[in-house]
Amino acid sequence: MTTQTRKDPYVIRRYLTLAIKNLRRRPVRTGLTVAGVGLAVTVAVSLGGFMLGYSGAIDKSIDMLGFQVMIMAKGCPYEAATMMLKGGTGLLYLPADTYDKVRNDPDIESITPIFIGVAQKQGSSIRDDAGSNFSIITGIDVAGYREMKPWLGFKKGAGYNHGRWFSVGSRDEVVLGFEAAEYEQRKVGDTFYASIAPAGKPDPVMHEFKVVGVLDRTGTQDDGTVFMPIDVAREYFGRPDQLTILGIKLKQFTAFKMREFESRWLKLPEVQVVGLQQVKNTLIGLVSTAQTMIAAVAAIAIIVALIGVINTILMSVHERTSEIGIMKALGARRGAIFELIWIETVIICLAGGVAGSAAAIVGSGVVERAIKAIADLGVSGSVVRITPAVITYAVVGAVVLGFFSGLYPAWRASSMRPVEAIRREI
Amino acid sequence: MSNVIEARGLKRYYHRGSETVKALDGVDLSIRAGEMVSILGPSGSGKTTLINLLSCLDAPTEGSLIVDGRSVAGLSEDDLVEVRRGLFGFVFQQFALLPTLTVAENVELPLMFLEKRVDPAATREILATVGLADRANHLPRELSGGQMQRVAIARGLIANPKILIADEPTGNLDSATGRAIIDLFKRLAAEQGLAIILTTHNAAFGYEADRVITLRDGKVLKEEMPERQPRIASILRSSSGEKSSFPSAPTFCSTC
Repeated sequence: MTTQTRKDPYVIRRYLTLAIKNLRRRPVRTGLTVAGVGLAVTVAVSLGGFMLGYSGAIDKSIDMLGFQVMIMAKGCPYEAATMMLKGGTGLLYLPADTYDKVRNDPDIESITPIFIGVAQKQGSSIRDDAGSNFSIITGIDVAGYREMKPWLGFKKGAGYNHGRWFSVGSRDEVVLGFEAAEYEQRKVGDTFYASIAPAGKPDPVMHEFKVVGVLDRTGTQDDGTVFMPIDVAREYFGRPDQLTILGIKLKQFTAFKMREFESRWLKLPEVQVVGLQQVKNTLIGLVSTAQTMIAAVAAIAIIVALIGVINTILMSVHERTSEIGIMKALGARRGAIFELIWIETVIICLAGGVAGSAAAIVGSGVVERAIKAIADLGVSGSVVRITPAVITYAVVGAVVLGFFSGLYPAWRASSMRPVEAIRREI
Repeated sequence: MSNVIEARGLKRYYHRGSETVKALDGVDLSIRAGEMVSILGPSGSGKTTLINLLSCLDAPTEGSLIVDGRSVAGLSEDDLVEVRRGLFGFVFQQFALLPTLTVAENVELPLMFLEKRVDPAATREILATVGLADRANHLPRELSGGQMQRVAIARGLIANPKILIADEPTGNLDSATGRAIIDLFKRLAAEQGLAIILTTHNAAFGYEADRVITLRDGKVLKEEMPERQPRIASILRSSSGEKSSFPSAPTFCSTC
């Protein structure tokens, strides 16, 4: 027989086999402990995926806006931000001449005016479910808007070919975002109805438009939007001298330039200048409390799981006191017993880590829907992104948890005196 | 043959509150290779304490103890395990098999702790020696008490120890099975030169040994060499310490 060391893969394999067989001795107890660790890992992975996904969703939404600064009517910056990022109904307007005042600012690279209004759908569209009974109408200056968002393209395929922007001077043409077209079941050439209540008038007026193009999916608020020429939108909404927003791209987007620009235009009485970094900070700040609470729940789950693991292994050690004594009599050193018990703990935590990560991946859709149902996050697109890095951190974290939670039971087992342990009746 | 164990003035005292319990109170004895020694005595006489000390599972309070040429009195638990490793094989009254391991895995368990590679042929051979060649892949719960004890004996022998310690090895067995186990011990001692120290309540089995030490109140009451066991004389005369191969397989009934 050849002498090996404990670090020899052959010996390690035998320790692993013994540890796994020990754990299988009490399958229900082991399973429940693994489930406890798994639950903690699921919460942690979902939280990590949410933090990552939400931050990424904000970044993407902001990038896909195409501009870095917005000038809009004074009001809640969060509402302003979410309106632009996700769409919304709490609309405030600023005078149309703001565009003329601001457009020649030397720091501006490009600027586009945007008008946003809300049209009623009742009786006007194929679908009329209560959950979404209005359409976001966005009036745009096509040239300026396309300069801001050069990636916008038209959907291709049967019924969608030959999509285009509006004709010059057209008053009855709309371009639908990807989801808006799907929801309304409209294709190029179809008719789109919108019931628009002009400002100050109680009764809405039904308008009939021709769909001249359907946009490709962008993953932003544009997908759910109905676009029409800005002048037409302003006229139909009865606000010919108003704008909702000015989207601005600065030549140099630095904090210093931003402050300069902001101080220049805050002198206008009715407007606020909102930098999109500020928007991001606002949104992250709004959910940070919730994230902290979820993190606290995750931390509690991890602590409970840790206690559960320690308890399980201690019970197992207690039940096997006599066996451990026998092993020591058979020649097991203190370190060997320590390693055996430690390996059992790490296996439980590793299994919990893998199972919990798998559960988090499988359940990410549910988590995403739940988060969006509970809170208005102000962004469109996926807010839970479970990456290999998140999974790696979770599994490694679970193993580290196992390392620490196994220390005490392993020390207790390894410290038993064989002569006493052998005689112990359980 | 040389002494594998030599004890002089061996004492083991315990403290129970303010009371000092003299579990072993000055025992002198020596064990030779190839000798089967049984320790008899009533409960509380110090049998288990004595074999715990002789097998280095415990340290004496006082006295000298030389095991395989090494003085072990005063060694720490960590040092004692180094002395124990590979030198002793153990057989316990309760068999002490790991229920989740197969017979072969139980037998090979000491090799794992001794960091030795398993030789399946050696495992098969040793299982054949104890008459369990066809039970290698069975779990302990599928065996009778006698079979489990034979697995424990195989486990005690797998690492080629010099000394086999058997604490009440027949205590949980019927007399026929107990007899078969004692016969196996006798063969192992005779054919392998293994020193076997066993404790038993069963005087009939005890007197099958080469030498019988009777304890009472922690002291050696008497030491006998049963007349009908002439083998010890030849062992004592022998100067060869070489181990033979495993003894020929004994004949066990199907259930013991």
